[in-house]
This record gives sequence, C-alpha cells and structure tokens, in this order.
Amino acid sequence: MILADTMDIGYPSLALGYALLIIPLGLMLWHRIPIVGRTLIAVARMTVQLLFVGLYLQFVFQLNSPWLNAAWLVVMLVVADFSIVRGCGLRLGRFLAPVLAGLFVGTIVPLLFFLGLILRQPNLLEAQYAIPIAGMILGNCLRADIVGLGSFYESIRKSEKAYLHSLAQGARLNEAVRPFYRDAVTAALAPTVATIATIGLVALPGMMTGVILGGADPMTAIKYQIAIMIAILAGTAITVVLGIWLTTRQTFTAYGTLDHAIFKKVKPRGTRGTRGR
Amino acid sequence: MDDHAAIKIDALTVAFGGRAVLGGFSLRLGVGEKATLTGRSGSGKTTVLRCILGFVVPDGGAIHIDGEALTPRSVWHLREKLAYVAQEPELGDGTVRDVLERPFAYHANAGLRDNLARVDEFFGEFLLPRSLLADDVTTLSGGEKQRVAIVSAVLLDRRIILLDEASSALDKASGKAIADFFRSRGDLTVLSVSHNPAGLSFSGQLIELPGGYDGEEPEVLE
Repeated sequence: MILADTMDIGYPSLALGYALLIIPLGLMLWHRIPIVGRTLIAVARMTVQLLFVGLYLQFVFQLNSPWLNAAWLVVMLVVADFSIVRGCGLRLGRFLAPVLAGLFVGTIVPLLFFLGLILRQPNLLEAQYAIPIAGMILGNCLRADIVGLGSFYESIRKSEKAYLHSLAQGARLNEAVRPFYRDAVTAALAPTVATIATIGLVALPGMMTGVILGGADPMTAIKYQIAIMIAILAGTAITVVLGIWLTTRQTFTAYGTLDHAIFKKVKPRGTRGTRGR
Repeated sequence: MDDHAAIKIDALTVAFGGRAVLGGFSLRLGVGEKATLTGRSGSGKTTVLRCILGFVVPDGGAIHIDGEALTPRSVWHLREKLAYVAQEPELGDGTVRDVLERPFAYHANAGLRDNLARVDEFFGEFLLPRSLLADDVTTLSGGEKQRVAIVSAVLLDRRIILLDEASSALDKASGKAIADFFRSRGDLTVLSVSHNPAGLSFSGQLIELPGGYDGEEPEVLE
C-alpha cells in the first residue's frame, strides 16, 4: 500500500539544515573539544560524495541498463576490496584477489536470492532494487571483513609462540589456525548478530526508515527489513569465512609459519611527519 | 644417509637481516644421546632448535631427523617425532588439563589419546601438584609451564626433545627431578640449550657455539 510520495527537500531548505551544525560546532568550540576541523572536513566530504553519488545514481536509474548496473556493482566491490585490505594494514598484492573473491560471492549470492526468490524481480539487475540492496549487503561485508581478516592475522602474529607450539605438537595448518579462525569469525559476525537481536528496540534501521519515508506501509517496511537483515548475515558470514580461507593459501610458508611479509611495515613511533624512505 | 642419527645437521647457515647467526654448524646426535648447546647470546643456540622444527628456514645446509631430510613436505610428520620446550612456554589458553588434552584433538595424535591416563604419574614424577590441572595455564610460573610442557611432550610420545633454557626457571628439586627423568630414559634424545650447562647434569655432550656477544639474548622470531 502506497501512502504518499516522499516530500522532496528544496536546496534552500537543505542549506537551512546545515544551520543545525551550529549546535555541535558551538559545543565543541565552547568546551574546546579538538575535533572542529575534522568535523567540518567530514561534513564537506559527505556533501561532495553524496552529491556526486546522487547525480551518478540519477543517471544510472534513468538509463537502467543491466550492463551499467552490473558495472556499478563491480566498482562498488573493487572499492570495498581496497578499503578492506588497507583497513587491515595488510599488503595489497597478496590479498586483493582472494578478498575480492570472498566479497563477490558474499554479496552476489544473498543479493540474487533477495531479488530473485524473495522479491521475484523479473529483471534481476533493476537499478532501483539491485543497487541499494547490494550496497547495504556490501557495506556490512566490508565492516565484517575488516574485523575478521584483521583480527585473524593480528592475533596469530600476537600469539605466534602459542601458534608455533601447536605446530610443534603435530597440528596441521588448518588445525593450528582453527582457534584464531573461530575467534576472528566470531568477532566479525557478533555485531551483526547483536544488531539483529536488538533491531527495532534500540534503533529503527536505515532501510526501514527509507521505505517508510518512501511512502510505503510500515508492515511492508518491516518485511523488507527482515529480509535484508538475513541477507546481510548470510553475506557477512560468506565473505568472512571465504576471505580468511582463501587468503590462508598465500599467507603461510610451506613450513606452516606465518609469512610476515604480508603485513604493511609500520613506521616506528616518533618518525611521524619526518621525510625520507 | 645416517639411519642411526636422531638428529643430523650438516653445515647449517642462517642469517637474519644480513647478520650471520650460524655459519656452517654441524651436529650428529644418535638415538638416546643427550647434548647441550651453549654459547654467548646471539650465537644461534635457539636458532638451531627453531631450524629443526622448521620455524626458521636456513640459508644453507641440511637437517635430517631419524634419517629423513627436513623439507616443506616432510616437516609435518617429522614434527610428530619432536617436542619443543621453550624458555617461557606459551601453551595457549584454558586450564592445564585443556592444554594437555588439546594436542590429542589433532589428527596426527588421535591414536595416542590413551596416554592421558598417565598424567597423574608424570605430574608426580615432575613434582607438580595434581591440583594444578584445574588452574588457568597463564597463572603458572615459568618453571611450572616448562614442566607441563615436558609432561605434554612425554604424553605425546615424542622421542626427540628440544629444551630451550629449560633449567633456567626451575628450583633445585624440580631441576633434579627432570634430570633424573631424562637420565632414566635411554630412548629419549635430548638437545638442550643452556647458558648454564651445569644445571643439565643428564647431558652427555657440551657443544659450544662460536660468535654472539655478552649480555641479554634478543628476541629473534625470524
């Protein structure tokens, strides 16, 4: 049931919306909270990024070409891939391909399930559905993968003696990494599970808000939200499990030790801002 | 090929970051022999043990265990013959009982599970109170961890034991208990590393490594 069209916000009214910034900025200045500059930059970035995406999406939606939509999905996947590997402090070379493979399967499988089986879309790559739903799944996969991959490799590095001890006791590679793998997948999925458990009580989720603002009946919004939460949980689980599993094939030596060349070299403390090398 | 050597090392060369740590080290240890590596800090004592376990890949030379060359392929089943007791062992988390049971979940050790019935016997032998089994392993002292690691090695039926400064954290009575145990076990080959070889009275040979420097041993992982 469609209740009403969404009311547009005029540009002068949006400009007025920025006036609300006076309150947080005023509080920061008053209490000398040192994030005024960062806040202004963040707001400026948000404005530019969203305007750009808005214009681009308008174009994509008007054309609604399956090829262009697919190409946009690929761009989203590749951008997410780079930010995951960078976000984990790992070297790009060995991680980009396996992480992308995990992201691809983790996003595409629940997306097609959602569009094809739940919404029964005749055109699977219909921009109006495919792009926002893929974006929601992918955004969550990105966050989960940074936690999962990052904590997996970091915890093996930190507990390397215990890891080597298990190798010395006869563990095969998959047996030796298992406790680290379990902890990493738990850490990656726990926020999604917690969100699912408290949804509706703590916060009205973004998608539901969007569907309601879009003029739909709240019950329709809830059905969308339930389906998307399950799609997100499936997507994050696939992405993290595949991401770790596929990367372990290239991150351990033939003797089973962790190859430390996978970590980006961190500048020693005290050298920040100095030039050279 | 020397079938009678438990450990045979030929011309082992290792360098870390351009600094030579071992320059052509060789050793032959027959089955049941006990030897101690000694030398100054940085002379590569621990590195020898780590090479035997495949944790450090040498730049040159060869290692044979029970007559079989150590390679990326063989290292996995050769480790099933070895046990490593570190100076400050990190045994993972959980209780002491968890730590002792964990390796039996590995496929390679599945057939040895019955040995767990002998925990009490070995705890007595190494002067460890039975109540320790329920304690969190991270709360143990260095000497207790070392003895738990040795018990674990014996339960896993390992015949080649690599001891890294294993006497360093032990009191006199525990040190003697360990020495008595190894002396009584003619089937066990023990290669130990020690700053203070006098503490390892069961050891038959003393091998001094050249090089190194005076002072504290740096943490060398790779």
